[in-house]
Amino acid sequence: MRVPLSWLKEYVEITQSPEELAHTLTMAGLEVEALDYVGADWGDRVITAQITHLEKVPGSDHLSYTRINTGSGEIGVICGAPNIKEGDKVPLALPGARLGDLTIGVARKMGYVSEGMLCSPRELGLGGDHSGIFILDPETPLGVKLADLLSDVVLEFAIKAHRGDLSSVIGIAREVAALTHKPLRLPEPRFREQGQPAAELVKVTVEDTELCPRYSARVIGGVNIGPSPGWMARRLLMAGMRPINLIVDITNYVMLEVGQPLHAFDYDLVREQHIIVRRARDGEEITTLDGVQRRLRGDMLLITDPQGPTAIAGVMGSAVSEVNEGTTRILLESANFKPVSIRRTAVALGLRTESSSRFEKGLDPELTVFGANRAAQLMAELAGGQVHPGIVDVYPRPVEQRTILFSPSEVEWLTGLKVTSRQVHDALSALEFKVEEVSAAADAAGGEQLLRVAVPTFRGDIEEGADLVEEVLRMIGYDQLPAIVPEGPLPESQSDHWFEREYEVREILIGLGLHEILTYAMTSRQRMLNLLAEVNARTAQVLLQKPADDGQAGWITAGTEASASSGNGVAADSKEPFEARSLPAVTITNPLSNELECMRLTLLSGLMETLQENSKRNRAGLRLFEIGRRYLPRGAGELPEERRCVGIALCGPAAISWVPELARPADFYDLKGVVEALLERLHIKRYRFTPVQHPIFHPGRSAVLEVERSGPDGGERFTPVGFLGEVHPLVQQRYDLPHRTYLCELDLETLYAAVPDRLSYAPISRHQELTRDLAVIVDQQVPARAVQEAIERHGGELLRTVALFDVYTGAPIPPGKKSLTYTLLYQAQDRTLTDAEANTLQEGIVAALREEFGAVLRS
Amino acid sequence: MIEQLDALLAQLDALQERALRELEAINSSAELEDWDVRYLGRHRGELKNFSTLIPKLGKAERPVIGQKINAVKERLESALEARRQELRDRELREALERERLDVTLPGRAVPAGHMHPISRTILEVARIFTRMGFQVVQGPEVETDYYNFQALNIPADHPARDMQDTFWVVPGQILLRTQTSPMQIRVMQATRPPIRVIVPGKVFRHEAIDASHEAMFHQIEGLLVDEQCTMANLKGSLARFAREMFGEDRRVRFRGSYFPFTEPSAEVDIDCILCKGSGCRLCKYTGWLEVLGSGMVHPRVLREVGYDPRKYRGYAFGMGVERIAMLKYAIGEIRLFSGNDLRFLRQF
Repeated sequence: MRVPLSWLKEYVEITQSPEELAHTLTMAGLEVEALDYVGADWGDRVITAQITHLEKVPGSDHLSYTRINTGSGEIGVICGAPNIKEGDKVPLALPGARLGDLTIGVARKMGYVSEGMLCSPRELGLGGDHSGIFILDPETPLGVKLADLLSDVVLEFAIKAHRGDLSSVIGIAREVAALTHKPLRLPEPRFREQGQPAAELVKVTVEDTELCPRYSARVIGGVNIGPSPGWMARRLLMAGMRPINLIVDITNYVMLEVGQPLHAFDYDLVREQHIIVRRARDGEEITTLDGVQRRLRGDMLLITDPQGPTAIAGVMGSAVSEVNEGTTRILLESANFKPVSIRRTAVALGLRTESSSRFEKGLDPELTVFGANRAAQLMAELAGGQVHPGIVDVYPRPVEQRTILFSPSEVEWLTGLKVTSRQVHDALSALEFKVEEVSAAADAAGGEQLLRVAVPTFRGDIEEGADLVEEVLRMIGYDQLPAIVPEGPLPESQSDHWFEREYEVREILIGLGLHEILTYAMTSRQRMLNLLAEVNARTAQVLLQKPADDGQAGWITAGTEASASSGNGVAADSKEPFEARSLPAVTITNPLSNELECMRLTLLSGLMETLQENSKRNRAGLRLFEIGRRYLPRGAGELPEERRCVGIALCGPAAISWVPELARPADFYDLKGVVEALLERLHIKRYRFTPVQHPIFHPGRSAVLEVERSGPDGGERFTPVGFLGEVHPLVQQRYDLPHRTYLCELDLETLYAAVPDRLSYAPISRHQELTRDLAVIVDQQVPARAVQEAIERHGGELLRTVALFDVYTGAPIPPGKKSLTYTLLYQAQDRTLTDAEANTLQEGIVAALREEFGAVLRS
Repeated sequence: MIEQLDALLAQLDALQERALRELEAINSSAELEDWDVRYLGRHRGELKNFSTLIPKLGKAERPVIGQKINAVKERLESALEARRQELRDRELREALERERLDVTLPGRAVPAGHMHPISRTILEVARIFTRMGFQVVQGPEVETDYYNFQALNIPADHPARDMQDTFWVVPGQILLRTQTSPMQIRVMQATRPPIRVIVPGKVFRHEAIDASHEAMFHQIEGLLVDEQCTMANLKGSLARFAREMFGEDRRVRFRGSYFPFTEPSAEVDIDCILCKGSGCRLCKYTGWLEVLGSGMVHPRVLREVGYDPRKYRGYAFGMGVERIAMLKYAIGEIRLFSGNDLRFLRQF
């Protein structure tokens, strides 16, 4: 809402500077978003002038050459505007003038010399109109600085959704008056009524009084349709509207001034002179003034005559009974419509107008007559109109004034600010609330002084005490509030610890040299499917997998077909061609773009895309992680399951370094080491990595991580937490990554289920430890984990630790075999082990390895 | 005999002098050991040879020679020890010298990661409020219309919905939350006062993305409900927050505003961290920076969760994390946060 200061001053005396006024209003909740200093750049180079001669420029379809009387001489100016004629007074920018980004100079064009520029409203900063030159009033003196006549300051307000009453110059003036303790001067519409009474000229039927609580109409005859006077055009322009013709401009002017939207019909085009306000029929059509044919719904309100719709109530009129050049009689509509209905209609039609935006914030039904009278007055004064006597006013249930019983102590109760009854009284009265003291005994509030506050009908937002507290606070000033750190009781713990847990994982991974990224939770199905080496109905399922309480259902492990069928909605048939849109995901019905059409099912596509972006400019490798949620769809109408996850990505060397080991590109074991360090820091001891076939990964270089946790039956079982692996070469290629890439995604909720509730100290044995090395040769295919588990199983309690410290293939180890060397540490908690005991255990282990794996001791 | 005695003494002197001279010239421990054997050896050492002469001497001469031999022996032994020490020192010195490193070479990198500035800002805010007794909770990012709007006094078709353009999953029912405020309702439903929570998290707005607008960003909601809370406490809490977050001399300013779920509502500004209030580009020459919205929990919201607004009072606030981070770290472009350019992330 743009309010020119000069206009505002018509209703309230303003002694503050524009900046001070803006501050006063902003502090009271009427935020002034900007001050627009119209004319500040005009200086003495933009002056008033008159066109004395005009000729078409030969060879141009739109340019004219004009001779301009500057008041002190005559110059030539080339102009392309269509709306000028000889005799017009116009704003002239002389060479050297600067208007916004434009600097005026002397130009030579098509054989003419142009020594200046005639200005459109937009070029002058008077609103957005650029359809022609801004024509000045005929009485305008020549050769005067335009700034002396027209400069102004426009206050730009953002009107909040609950204050429809502020969408007008008078509404703002009312607040200014209250805040600066000045009287409000309202215009008093006075005009002579003559001729046949309006009630005999027009009939109004309101069929739906819920959606249209009031409809007031006047008839004005004998109007001249011409251009608006300069002062009115200028105000409309500065307020951001475009002058059209005098009648339409008057309706707009009154809307801006008093806040009541009006509609002017050509009386003679309203068929049977009968206005019927009714709901549209489903599918009924109307062509609005913007030339668009619109299909209506049954919940939309129409203004019609007996032969059909003439306007969408409160939104926009149609050409049917539009005011035109031949119009002489006006049927003036000043009505009140239900906010919700107007808003729903405007949103559904995608048609937001000055009128609809006012109605949807709620307007005072008491305003219609004032608005109609003000417009009638202006039509009489400016358009020579004859106002027919009376108003046709359909107003079946007049609005009741709301009263609130209010205790001044509520202000302190809610804000901590001590106020007197007098202050409350004054503050509310200034805002036109009627305040009446109620005897204390009449109420049970402990003998306290109570006020009966009558709320003005234009303040539909005020419903109860808290609303009045805010009004008082606005008047006294928010800056009067004391600042006191709260005392009060502290609550019991109600945190679920997830905040702390996420930061724990974050800190651990940062400590391991990974950078945290934060990507959009919105993505597209296609972007996620890009992760898969081969896309089909079966492989796409991995995007929907989640750890389940019943073990491995729904989780692809070890490439078993059995685990691939699950109730997650993807047909598990790898032969069928797969369409991205058949991937279940939380779909956004109004996405910003196709790239952001759904919620992510995995963090990995964001990580891969971030690797891709960064790898273009990073010679060193990338080590990234993200903590966030996957959004797994549930049934229709249900909220999705949001699973907290961490995704990790490694690509390339850890650093650019002179140390060869550090300059080495990351490999599978780097990623696994990160995951193991995370497990160690979380004190998760029981876990395993198992080879897995996974469509994102290299078939021989991926694993599922499982942790042991107690199941619902109390027994311990391994539950999958997530997977990790080397990205399939086809996928790596798809993302243009220069190095082999390693990804991991873990479900934090399952991971934390395996974190011990508490740590307990195990006494450190004082007894001697015995170490024995063990080197065995086994088949290449034997997993190291199997050997390790066999050693642990057969070593029993006395075997404290087993650590693999060498893996070797090549001569003299036979082809197809590998040598694994462990160091074993034996120790008892309660006694000193003898060599013999350790040797016996060691021999038992060797025998078991021979038995289970055909292992041979390496000599 | 005297001549013989004198001759022996002279020989011992000569021996000592020769031995010491040789010792001076020795440069390695191997030579040193040879010298030790040659002069001080228990069996064939030259000094030992003199000892074997003693029994052949007269009674009077024996002690003289014996003492002399001992004196020479002690002299040589101490010289040997000194020389040995010297050599050891020198060898160590030389060994250390050979091990000299170029300490200006870069260290063997232990990769160091960085926390995303948004996570870092959330953590910092959370710490400030946990020091004031608040607990951190989180909530669903995909929400119902009820929690995101209706329960917060924003009914369907209310113009306040324009303040927050919405991504819909099921139009009218399920949406991406546009604010962290729905957790006010969830928390009040799940527990009873006293309540002190802050809620950090992602929020989503259907907005064209540009230098100062993102379709996904982060907010931190605050909610305090008990039987004595006032707006002065809101101001006290936020003033303390502003000082801890933006510097000890920060001032806060409350001004009127409108949020459907608070009454009275207040916009909170801090004096400009750049110009300290004198006016600059950052604060658009107002001297103040808008940092968050706040207010007293609306009685309608309290009634919605079954709290008696005559008994319970509460305040709520919400801040944009990106906004706070941009002010705190002088970042002029919001898209950097979701851009994840390592050159940006490494600075935090």
